Amino acid sequence: MQRCGLAADWLPAWRRILTPTVSLEGIRHSFGGAPVLDGISFSVHPGEVLGIVGPGGCGKSLLLKIIAGLVRPQEGSVHVLGEDILALESLDMVHVRSKMGMLFQNYALFDFLTVGENAGFPLLQAPENKGKDKKKMVMGRVSELLKKLGLGGTERLYPNELSGGMRKRVGLARATIHEPELILYDDPSAGLDPVTSSKIFGLIDAIHDATASTEIIVSHDVDRMHAVCDRFLLLHKGNIHFEGTLKEAEEHRDDPVVHAFFFREQASSEPTGMASPPPVPQ
Amino acid sequence: MSRGRTSVLSGAAFVGNRSLWLASVVGGMTMTLVHIVRAMIPPRFDWREFMRNMYKVGVKSYLVIIVVACFTGAIMVVQSATYMSKIHANHMIGWGAGLTIFSELGPLMIGLIFSGRVGANNTAELGTMVVTEQVHALRSLAIDPVEYLVVPRFLSMVIMMTVLTVLGDLFAMIGGAITAQVMLGCDWREFLASLLDAQLLGEFVVGLCKACLFGFTIAVVSCYYGLSVRGGARGVGRAVNNAVVASAIGIFAVDYLATLLCVEFGWL
Repeated sequence: MQRCGLAADWLPAWRRILTPTVSLEGIRHSFGGAPVLDGISFSVHPGEVLGIVGPGGCGKSLLLKIIAGLVRPQEGSVHVLGEDILALESLDMVHVRSKMGMLFQNYALFDFLTVGENAGFPLLQAPENKGKDKKKMVMGRVSELLKKLGLGGTERLYPNELSGGMRKRVGLARATIHEPELILYDDPSAGLDPVTSSKIFGLIDAIHDATASTEIIVSHDVDRMHAVCDRFLLLHKGNIHFEGTLKEAEEHRDDPVVHAFFFREQASSEPTGMASPPPVPQ
Repeated sequence: MSRGRTSVLSGAAFVGNRSLWLASVVGGMTMTLVHIVRAMIPPRFDWREFMRNMYKVGVKSYLVIIVVACFTGAIMVVQSATYMSKIHANHMIGWGAGLTIFSELGPLMIGLIFSGRVGANNTAELGTMVVTEQVHALRSLAIDPVEYLVVPRFLSMVIMMTVLTVLGDLFAMIGGAITAQVMLGCDWREFLASLLDAQLLGEFVVGLCKACLFGFTIAVVSCYYGLSVRGGARGVGRAVNNAVVASAIGIFAVDYLATLLCVEFGWL
C-alpha cells in the first residue's frame, strides 16, 4: 500500500526527530573490580547539545568511548543513530561511525600526516573521493575550513610543528569536515589557556549553528559550556547525580555536588564574608 | 612438609602462569595474522600508506644491509681461507662463500638486522599510536586500523625483506671477492667463476623463500606487540624489547623448520 505524498515525506522525518540520536540503558563498566559506571541511562535527541560534567576519573571520557563504540561496556545497551551498536558487525559499525565525528582529549592527530591530510582524513578515505581530481577538491575544502578555524597556510605543516591550541583546532576540523550527524568532544579545552578555550567553545558553537548536529561535550570547563550546551549530565560516583538544564540546576542549588559544579564561580565572586562554596563530596 | 608443599604449589603456579602467558601471546599473534589475512581479501589497503612504508622499510634500510652483507661475505672468506689454502683449494672459495651465504647466512643475518631496525621501529610506531589514541581515532573515523596501518606494513616488510636479501647476497659476494683478492691473492674473476660454476640457483631461491618467511614472522610479531601496548611510554619500551626478542626466536625457529623441510624434499 502506498502512502499519500505528504505522509510519505513527513513520516520518516518525524521518526528521525523523535528517535534519540544516542540512547544508553543501564551501562555498567568497571576497571579491576572497581565500578566506574554503575547503571548509567540517558538519551540525546537530534540537534541537542549535551554537556557531561563530573569530577576527574568519574568515567566521562569512558562514556564517550562507549558511545563511539571504542569500548564495549560490561553491561547495558547502546543505541547510536538508530542502531544497537553492541550487536553490530564491524562492517556495519563502519557505516554508523561514518556519520560520527570525535575530538580527542589529546588531539590524537596522525603524526605521519600533514595538517591538511589530518583535517581532510575522513573525506580523503571515503571511496567516492579517490582519484586526483576529487582529492584536489577535498583539499580545497580543507583549506577553506582551516582558514575559517584560523589555521590558514598550515596545510603542509606536521602536527608536531603546531601549538596545543592549533592542534585542537585541527582535531576539530577532522571531527567535523564530513558534517557528521553526531559529534563527540572529549575535553575540548583540556590543557589550553582561557583565551584559546573560549575560542574553541566559540568554534563548537558556530559548528553547531551551521550544521545542527547532535553534540556531546565532556569537559570540566562548566562556565564555557553554559553558552553551548542545552542540557547537562552530572556524573558522580558512577551514577547520574543530576540531569537537566541550567535552570533546573538552580532548583538543586542546595545540593553540594550540583553547587560545586555549576555555581562555584558565582559563589566565589560574591562579596567576602559570604559562605564559601562547599567542596565536591568524594 | 608445609614448606615443601608451598614450594610445589608456587612451582605449579609459575608453570601455569607461564603457560597462560605463552598461550595468550601465541593466540594474539595468530589473531593478528587472521585479521591481516581477512583485511587483504579482497585487497583494500591504502596505496599511499603502502608506498610510504615501502620507502621507510626498504630505502632507509639498504645502507645498513649493504654494510652488514659486505662484512658477512668478508668474514666467510677469511674463515674459509685458512682451510682452503691448506688444501690448495683457493679456486673454490667463491663456491664456499656462495653456498653458505645464499642458503643460510645471508637471509639469517639480514633477518636479524631487519628485525632490530625495522621490526623494532614498527612496534614503537604502532605502540605510540595506541598510547596517543591515534588507533582509536582511526576507528572512530570508520577506518579499520588493521587495514590502514597493519596490512601496508606487513606487505612492505615481506616484500622488502626479500628484496634486501637479494641486495645483501650481491654485496656479500662483492665483500667476499674483495677480501679474497686482498688476503689470498685470489683473482676476483676466479672467485666469480667458481661461484657461477657451482650453479647455486637452488640455494639462492631457498634463501629468498626463507627471507620471505622471516619478513612474514617479523611483521606479525612486531605488529602484534605494537598493537597490544598498554601503559604509556614504559609499555612501548617493553613492547619493543619483547618484539625484538620474539622476532629473533621466531627467525631461528622458522629457519630450522625451513631447512629441515628443504633437506627432506632434497632442495638443498
